[in-house]
Amino acid sequence: MFHHTPFRYAALVLLASGALFQAFTAQYFGLEILTEILILAMLVLALDMVAGFGGMVSLCHGALMGVGAYGYAVLSTTAGLTPPVAMAAAVGITAGISWVIGAICSRSHGIYFIMATLAFGQMAYSYVFEAPIFGGDDGLGGIERLDLSIIGVDLNDTRTFALFCLVTLAAMYGLAVMILRSGLGRSFSGVMHNEQRMRALGLTVWRIKADVFGLSGMIAGVAGVLAAQHIMYISPGLMAWTVSGEALVVVILGGLGTLVGPLVGAAVFVVLKHELSSLTTYWHLIVGVILIGVVMSRANGIFGFIENSFAARSKTTEINPKAMEVTKDA
Amino acid sequence: MTTDLGFWTLQALNALQLSMLLFLLSVGLTVIFGLMHFVNLAHGALYALGAYFAASFAAIWGYWAAFLLAPVAVAGVGVLLYSGFIQRMRKSGPMAQVLVTFGLIFVLLDLTRIVWGDLPLAIEVPAMLGGRLAFLGVEYPTYRLFIIVLGLVVLAGLAFVLGRTQIGAMIRAGVDNDEMAACLGINVERLFFCVFCVGCALAGLAGAVAAPLLSVSPDMGLQILIPTLIVIVIGGLGSLKGAVAGSLIYGFVQTFGAVLAPQLSSVLIYALLAAVLVIKPVGLFPAKG
Repeated sequence: MFHHTPFRYAALVLLASGALFQAFTAQYFGLEILTEILILAMLVLALDMVAGFGGMVSLCHGALMGVGAYGYAVLSTTAGLTPPVAMAAAVGITAGISWVIGAICSRSHGIYFIMATLAFGQMAYSYVFEAPIFGGDDGLGGIERLDLSIIGVDLNDTRTFALFCLVTLAAMYGLAVMILRSGLGRSFSGVMHNEQRMRALGLTVWRIKADVFGLSGMIAGVAGVLAAQHIMYISPGLMAWTVSGEALVVVILGGLGTLVGPLVGAAVFVVLKHELSSLTTYWHLIVGVILIGVVMSRANGIFGFIENSFAARSKTTEINPKAMEVTKDA
Repeated sequence: MTTDLGFWTLQALNALQLSMLLFLLSVGLTVIFGLMHFVNLAHGALYALGAYFAASFAAIWGYWAAFLLAPVAVAGVGVLLYSGFIQRMRKSGPMAQVLVTFGLIFVLLDLTRIVWGDLPLAIEVPAMLGGRLAFLGVEYPTYRLFIIVLGLVVLAGLAFVLGRTQIGAMIRAGVDNDEMAACLGINVERLFFCVFCVGCALAGLAGAVAAPLLSVSPDMGLQILIPTLIVIVIGGLGSLKGAVAGSLIYGFVQTFGAVLAPQLSSVLIYALLAAVLVIKPVGLFPAKG
């Protein structure tokens, strides 16, 4: 189950104040980077919820984000719904689809689960790539942002939009913590540790997995809607499996099963990507080396590593032993 | 669509050629998994390396030298990968392995870009295999027939080694129960190493034979990776039979899907994979019960 340690609170406060500072002081480019970080953070939050707390290592979360983005784009432009309705519908559709995927894949474990989710993600990708209604490989443009002028907020302003994403991310983080602390979330962690025992206790394992996967997909859908509103244009590239792979990389870089770690990972990843790609076109090489280094060092990501060494020194917080277990069971 | 027999023969040959190419790739991957429980996402990158090595060697010594040397060179890379990463990752869970090999994809992709540049390379079909052959009433490129024959030869060779020789019996024992096999005095670790190298060499071979058909580009490894994974998951991990069945299913569904239902073709294979995983979560012919 998810615990907030003082260390985690401190990290959250630090992250939030960093984001706020950036949101109020940065220029256009800095704000774009901040928004990118916040949206990626939302996606990896959703992924960490299922991968870190239930061992469901999904390679379709990028595609789920794409479903949210495309759902919003099509509903708000072609179908002509107003942005709030289109947003709600797109998030609902994404949650529904991921519930179904979670239910179907709930019987698979380990590498088969990874492959099954990959299959569903690629299915969505290749469908969108071909279907004329989704603009095919040209993508879709002309996507509007949510109109909040009624309360005096103009989201077409870059700074306001970044703040809007920050508020949404905070809400999604709260939601994820609530879900993980609820009975459902506890059962979910129980299923990861011993599925047979949970079944013997009378729980319907597939339902638990599907429910949490659906909720996680919902958060990914929110990230997708915001991504579509951010760039105001979407292309099928958003749904390619490498996006899901990258999301997984971010979770690992940050710290699996810590919920705070992936947020750190998202910030580090996006900043690293922009810094490196301005230096060299071979930035993937460096990211690859860092990834291999982090996984082979057996530390639980950047955040997990700092947290563990901090805990080992002060002995006030318990070391997070779950990290290694997850890597073994997953 | 058409009742012309030649059309169906042609498509069947196309499907068979795609299947054989995938077979060369997937058999290495699936046996590595079956034996080592190791998920090597970098297998596609090794295939791309094979194609690049072939392009370089073919420019110097001609196609046939490239055909023989590229698999050896890729096996050499495999030795480096094995001693550098894979040996150490053997006992980790699938997720750590997926991530390390995902990182290797990034690294190898950019290394090929650094060495060979971003522009696609082309290599010529060898003169001996140029042109077309009349076959079952259709004209078919000789080179593609060569790929089909090569795939069948490799299949026969592997079936013989795995089914009829002592090495094969040792490999099968290792797949079934590696601890018990080790207790019986089989050096499972060395066996793993050999199988891994052979798998890498086969990936290099696939790259070398695919190079004249496709242009050799840095992302060809990423493009082939997903079909290869689909093949081994449909077929069931770890078994030769599964790799054959999966390759044939993929080749035929893909080829005939593109001809008969172009709108659905790309979704069809993924839907099939999902269906297989729902009905038989471990694939059609898994190595273990």
